[in-house]
This record gives sequence, C-alpha cells and structure tokens, in this order.
Amino acid sequence: MSQRLLNIQQASRVVKSGGNQISILDEIDLTVHEGQFISLMGPSGSGKSTLLNCIGMLDAFTSGDYTFLDQDVHKMKERNRSKLYKEYIGFVFQAYHLIDELTVQENIETPLLYKKVKSSERKAMVADMLDRFNIVGKKDLFPEQLSGGQQQLVGIARALVASPKLILADEPTGNLNSKQSKEIMELFSELNKEGVTIIQATHSEENASYGTRIVNLLDGKIITP
Amino acid sequence: MIYSHFKIGLRNTIKNKGFFALNSGGLIVGLTAVLLTSLWVYNELNFNTSLKNYDEIASVMLNRTFTDEIRTGSGQPMQLAPVLREKYGDHFKQIALCSRINDYNIKYNGQMLMVDGRFVEPEMTQILDLQMIYGDRDVLKDLSSVLISESTAKNIFGSENPMGKTLTLSSVLDVTVAGVYKDLPVNSTFKNIHFMGSWELLKTRARYDERLSWGNYWFQIYVQLQDGKSLANVSDLIKDVFNKNYVSRTRDYQLFLFPMSKWHLYSKFENGVSVGGRIEYVIIFSIIGLFILLLACINFMNLSTAQALRRGKEVGVRKTLGSSRKQLIIQFFTESFIMILFSFLIALILAYLLLPGFNTVTLKDIAVPIEEPAFWFICLLLIVVTSILSSLYPSLYLSGFRPVRVLKGLSPNSKTPVSLRKALIVVQFAISGILIMGTLTVISQINHVKDRPIGFDKELLVSVPINTQKVRQSFDVIQRELLSSPHISKVVASDVKITAAYTGNGGDFDWKNKDPKFEPEFSTIRATLGFGEMINWKILKGRDFSAEFPSDTLAFLVNETAVKYMKLENPVGEYVRWGDNGTYKIIGVVKDMVTRSPFDPEEPALYILHKGRFLSYVNVKIASDDASTIEGAIASLKTVFQKYDPNSIFSYSFMDDEYERKFSEISRIAKLVIWFSLVAIFISCLGVLGLSTYMAIQRKKEIGIRKVLGASIQTIWKLLSKQFVFLVLISLVIALPLGYYFSSQWLMEYSYRVQINFWIFALSGLFILLITLLTVSFQAIKSALSNPVNSIRTE
Repeated sequence: MSQRLLNIQQASRVVKSGGNQISILDEIDLTVHEGQFISLMGPSGSGKSTLLNCIGMLDAFTSGDYTFLDQDVHKMKERNRSKLYKEYIGFVFQAYHLIDELTVQENIETPLLYKKVKSSERKAMVADMLDRFNIVGKKDLFPEQLSGGQQQLVGIARALVASPKLILADEPTGNLNSKQSKEIMELFSELNKEGVTIIQATHSEENASYGTRIVNLLDGKIITP
Repeated sequence: MIYSHFKIGLRNTIKNKGFFALNSGGLIVGLTAVLLTSLWVYNELNFNTSLKNYDEIASVMLNRTFTDEIRTGSGQPMQLAPVLREKYGDHFKQIALCSRINDYNIKYNGQMLMVDGRFVEPEMTQILDLQMIYGDRDVLKDLSSVLISESTAKNIFGSENPMGKTLTLSSVLDVTVAGVYKDLPVNSTFKNIHFMGSWELLKTRARYDERLSWGNYWFQIYVQLQDGKSLANVSDLIKDVFNKNYVSRTRDYQLFLFPMSKWHLYSKFENGVSVGGRIEYVIIFSIIGLFILLLACINFMNLSTAQALRRGKEVGVRKTLGSSRKQLIIQFFTESFIMILFSFLIALILAYLLLPGFNTVTLKDIAVPIEEPAFWFICLLLIVVTSILSSLYPSLYLSGFRPVRVLKGLSPNSKTPVSLRKALIVVQFAISGILIMGTLTVISQINHVKDRPIGFDKELLVSVPINTQKVRQSFDVIQRELLSSPHISKVVASDVKITAAYTGNGGDFDWKNKDPKFEPEFSTIRATLGFGEMINWKILKGRDFSAEFPSDTLAFLVNETAVKYMKLENPVGEYVRWGDNGTYKIIGVVKDMVTRSPFDPEEPALYILHKGRFLSYVNVKIASDDASTIEGAIASLKTVFQKYDPNSIFSYSFMDDEYERKFSEISRIAKLVIWFSLVAIFISCLGVLGLSTYMAIQRKKEIGIRKVLGASIQTIWKLLSKQFVFLVLISLVIALPLGYYFSSQWLMEYSYRVQINFWIFALSGLFILLITLLTVSFQAIKSALSNPVNSIRTE
C-alpha cells in the first residue's frame, strides 16, 4: 500500500442562504493515497467542485476532519496552509485560467517564482515542461493566440512544473471538443502512470473511466458504489 | 519578481490603453497642477531666502497711534539712523538708511534710460552682501560714486567697460560708476535695485539737513543684527527711541524690528500687529493643491478598483499558484507605482512647458529649481504620497479576493466597494463644487467692483509727469501751447494722478464744533483751475473753483464722505483752519469719487486750488476718441514736453488703463482659481466616467434583461443616471456651506464687496449636475443601445 496523501472524515460544508442552512457537502469520508487517479462524478450541484476546492484548501469544510500528509489542515494557520498547497498541489481549471498578460513560458514559470526557485533552475524546469508537452514553438505566444486545447496543455504544464504531489482538475475538458478532451485525458493518465496523484471532477462517464477510482456524488453525499 | 511585475504592468498598460489614458490622464493633469502650485508656494516661501544674511536682516518699522487705530509703516526719518548707531550700535552689525526705491532718468552719452534705484548708506552693501563684478562695494563713502547692477551695466554700456564712466542722474547729478554688482535675486524684495547712489550725495544735494525733521518719515532703515542678539529683545529696546527724540510730536510713535522672514508673507498690519498678508494666498493655494492631489488620487483609486473586475481572475489564479497576499500587494503596488511614476514624469515635463504661461499669470519668475535638493525631495514626497493615497487601497482590495469566488466568475468580494467609491465621488464633487463657487465669487466680485460708479470720467484722460522745475514754472505757456492743438480739449496740472490720489494730510485741522480729540486725516488733491470740469465731477452743493473768485486759493471743495466725516450739517460756507496754511472756506460738495483702490471705501477728501511747487502731473483731456485724434494729442504732448524738458524721457499714461490695472491682482487670482476649478472638474468627470463604466459593466446583464422585457433606451438612461444625480446632490449639500464659508472669508479682504448671491450656488450646482449627466449619459446611452443578446449570452 502506498502512502496516504489525504484523509477526510465526516466533513461537511454548510452555508447559509436566505436564512436556510444548506449542506453543500454532507459528512464526506474520503481517503486518497499517492498514485491514485480519482474521478469525482455527479450532476451539476452535487458538490464536486466544492469538494475539490476544499481539498485544494481554496475553500474550507465547516465541520469534520481533514488531514493532508498527516497534518491537520483545519488547525493550520492561513500562512502554513498556503505553504502547503504551494508545495504539494497543482490546479487545472475548466476555463484554463491562464494569465492573459503573460506568455506561455511566463505562465508556466509563475508558480516557480512564488516558490522562489532560482532563475537558472527555473529556466531549465520551464524548458523541460515546454519540451515535454511539445509546445516549445509556442512559448512566446500569449494565451489568446492559442486554441482551447493548447491553453489547457499550458494550464496542465503550469500545474505540473513545480512537481506537486497532487493535481486537482475541475472539469479540465469542459470547454474542449471531444478530440482535444481525449488528448488531455490521455495525458492525465500518462502522468498518473508516472506517479502523479490526480483528482478530477467531471460530468463525463468517458473521462471518469480514465481514472483508477470513481467517487460518485449526489446532493453533497458520496454514494456508495 | 519585481522585473516580472514591471513586465506585467507594462503589458497591462498597453492592453488597456483606454483605461490607462483615463487613469493616468487624470493623474497627469492633477499632478501638473499640484507641481505648479508647489513651485509657486515654494517660491513664495523662499522669498528673500537667497540673501546671505536672511536670518539677521530686519527693517525698522513705525507704529503711529491715531484716535481710532494704529497705523504701521516702514517710513523713518533720516535722523533715526545716527541715534540707533550711537546708542544701540553694539546690537547691530550694520544699520543702513536708504531712500525709497524710485525710477531715475539716467543719461549717458546722450542716451537716456529709466532705471530703478536707491540712495543708500554704504552699510547697505554689506547687509545685502553685494557680489561685485567690478570694483569695491565700499566705494559709496565717496559722494560721487555709484554702483550699478550687471544688467544695467549691459543696458547702458553694452560690452564697454563701465568702470569710471560718468552718468547723469535726473539731469542734475553727475556720478561715476565705481562698481558693478551681480543683480540681486529675482525672488527678493531688492530685485529692482539697479543702481545704488550715495545717501550723502542725495542728502547734500536735496538740502535735507535744512528741510527734514523727525516728522518727515520718508526713508527706510535696514539693520543686520549682531550675533547672539535676539530680535525681540532689540526690538523692545528701541521701541521708544522715536518718542524720546521727536520733541514736537502730537501722537505716540513706537518703533519695532520686522524680520526679513516676515516681509513678504506677513506684511499686513492691523492696529500695529502683523495679521498675515500674502501668507493667506499661500495657504489657500496650498489647500487647493492638496485638494487637487486628493482628487487625482481618489480618481486613481476609483478607477483602479473599478478595474478590479478584470483583474479578479488573475488574483484567483495567482493565489492558486501559490502567491501569498503580500506578494500580490507588492505586485499591484508596483503596477500602480509604474503608472504613477510615468504620470509624474509627464506631469513634470508638462509643468516645465506650462511654466512660462504660469509665470505670466502669476507675475512670477519661477524656474524649475533642478539644482536644489529640496525640489527633488518635494518630487519624491509627491510620488510617495500619491502612491500611498492612490495605490494602497486598490492593492489591498485586489489582493484580498477569494480565489474560489473570482474563479467561479462571481463578484470578487461579498462586500463590493461600490459604496466607498460612491463616497469618493461625493468628495470629488464637493471639492469641485467649492472651487466653482470660489470661481464664481471671484468673478462676481470683480464685476461688482468694475461696475462701481467712480464719480468721474476716466476716458481720454492722459497724465504726463512733471520732471523739472522748469516745466512746473512754465505751466501756463505749456497749457496754452497744448490747447492750441485741435486734439486736446483741456489741460490741467495736479499733484497726483486722479487714479492714484494717495496724498494724505492729517493732524492740524480745525473747524466749528470739532471734537478736540478728533485728529482727522484727509485725502487731498491739489490742481489748477478746471480740474473738476476736466474729469467731469458732480457738484452736489455749492460751486466749483472759479477764476472770478480770487479768494478761491483759500477754498476747499469736499466730498460727501468728508461731510459725514466732519459731521457738518451745512458744509458750504463753513471755514476750516489748516495749520499754518491758512483758513479755508468750503465752497462746494462733490459726489464721492474712486481715486484710490476701487476695493476700498471712499476716503474723506479735500480738493484744493493750487498752482505751484506741488504740481507733479500735467493732465489733458483728448478731444475725441478716434485713433487719429488720440495719436495727434500724444504727438502734441511729446513735442511740447521735449521742448521744455529735453533731458527727460517723455512718458504718459491713460487714466482708464491705470484704473484697469487696479484689477490686475484680483484678475490674476481669478485666472488661477478658474484654472484650478477646471482641473478639478476635469478630474472629477474622469472619475464619474470610470465609475459609470464600471457600473455599466456590472449591470450589463440586468440591462440586457430589462431590454428584453421591453425597457426603452430612455428608461435605461434614467436608471443609470439616477444614482449619479443623487450623488451630486449629496456632494452639493456638503459643498454649499463650505463654499459659502470660504467665499465670504475671502470677500472679507475687500471693503467694497459683492453680496454672495443665491444664484452663485444655484449655478454651481446646476453646472455640476449638468456636467455629470453629460458624462454619465455617454456611458448610459452606450449601454442602452447595446444588443441585449450579447450581454445575456455571456455568463
């Protein structure tokens, strides 16, 4: 058994909306081990994205326990939490969310800047990524000059460049056509084989099938398969 | 990292040119105005400071006690200087008596020039620390020596060596150039002293020793304090010197020392106490400058936060990529800083280019003091203050976005800062409103005073100064010759110009039923026969002077104010004894005339028939106002004057021009205030444009839905404009009382002043409202016209 990456127990997220308490996530139990490729599945509003955001520490559970690499996330200070995800987590978004004012190369470089990697090292790491994703020729282009599929490639490259332990992908192919989707999913599965842990949220059965494990969500609850 | 911030900042700028233009445009205009104001204030505060002995120089001032007030002046009798030297010499490094500055006719080699200068005791050159180019500054001990300034040397001698050359001063004094000094600093009291003659020479030639007593305080005394002596102590020490020495005095005279640091900005005295002066304008313009800086910063802040919607996603992404809030703050701060720095540089260039025009308006000679560290320090301070005021909040606000929300495309924060931005807009408009009210007040005050009935006809009146005794004595002949010209209808000589009747006579007047404690002082005009007829004054009671009554040489005409002042019920026929001059009969009452400042109340005035030593001007009335007649009249004047006074430069002035000149100071202020108001309004409009654009974007979907539901363009325009009208109304509620307060404070400066009218406020409000609506409508109509399909589809 490989190392346990994160563990969620009895975790809920409750928000107030017009005086009513609404559970977006309801007593979730989830354990993720290194090397897994998990697909969170469920219809719109089932809580996939929220769960992903909570795992990624962009959002927080309102109750329950969440440990990441055996550290209790809920008891951490903001600063340590941000250090944690800077170190271990990469995000891939449905809408790519590249920074429009930066070139492909600079977009990929950004996480390294925040990790204070030395310039020479940074260059090498970015070059490595460009090479690996076959986008060397596009390194000086701006996001708007790229197709959706290419933008998502850059997005993934950016998420990977700092060698995170975990990639969180929220509908990574949601804005892409089927051919581009397929390419991206194959890339994910390849990365997973190389040892990267991936959690993706998706609508699509087909995309989910690339994963090693499927977690079904409905109305904020995990439905036992 | 910083490099990356610069890079992204630059790209952002290029990408959002419109926004950038809007944002930095406001900042540039604001900063330019602030820079110009700062330069002006800096210049004012540094008046005289370039003189080496700035801290030690003082002038000796005199407080004279009258029945109802204490009058303060810088005039001193020549007898005072030796007394000070003898009794209090060890308190001073130098004491110097000087004649007042005057323009003198200087003749060299047949060529004539008017030059401003003074006759001074040799100590003055030490006090001023004259920097000599040629010669020694101590030569003024020699009566025939004169020192001239570098520029005057150039004017008179060109490239010739001026040393040892003989100049003729006022046609009668021959003096030798014994030294050339560097021109005194432009920004100083003494900038216009272009020659210094020996005081002894003036005293001897004008026989002052025989003529002048302690009662003739015609001169000025400057002192330089001894090291370690405090001004206050010495001032206190000498205060009674005048009283002790002036034996035949009728009132109390107190001396005091007035330090150079106060001459320029605190020159206004009320009842013997310094009560400010130009410092008030320095304060007003500093406040206006600060206001404008604040406006520009608010604008920047407003537009930057409005821009946040677009930057929200970037903040979210960066946060998920591991950026800390601090790093984001630094990033946004850097970006703003680039923009501010850029705007500042442009503003600096603009200020430099506008400086000549600014100097013309302010009558200054300001240069950008590049070599002074203080200037760069002020620049740095401005940049820092601007950066903090305008970027700190946007940086904090932007960096505080929660990634989950912005990445989902929701509004960045649950609490949107629209209300803050609205408050800022209110502040902007309140400031603009105050400035507009100020502008309207100044303009209406000018118009009010210009409309003041002046009581005489100033048109087509020309005055020519009488420079020599010969002209004075030949007046009858000159009058005859001038009247023979068809272009001239009347010729009268007088002691003052009708627009500058500043001669006052006080003390020794007595009449029936006069309160014995009352020490009256009258403005007096002495003139030859026909003066009243020439200026067309209005006689209310009695008659004008007439050749038929030889006794009129001992007669007064008085003005209405004098009648009230003297408390006479039937003035005509009353007798007034005037010291040794004789007893005068009042033969008529003249309607009040504005012969001094049109901003001051009327003075009690006496008009005296006179033909003799006091005559200083020949006044003529030109026959008609067509150009050829005017030219002809001037030509005749010139011919006649050159015949009787070939050694003087012929000069003349039109009385209506002279009168108009009395408004130059207030017009200058008006121009400045108008410009500042325009800048303020411009910046505020940019702010409104920014905010309305932001709101239009924010409500794009709402507008789309409303249009689909059938809203007309008009209703949408109303929807978007309504809230701004509300904001303007709030700002007016704030601005009106403040504007009223400032305006009425300013008007207190003038005795003859306009009543602040309701229409000033109504007009200001209306103007702001109109200009806001115009600005908002631009955006509102654009949104109203947009195709709803586009706005609803995108989500």
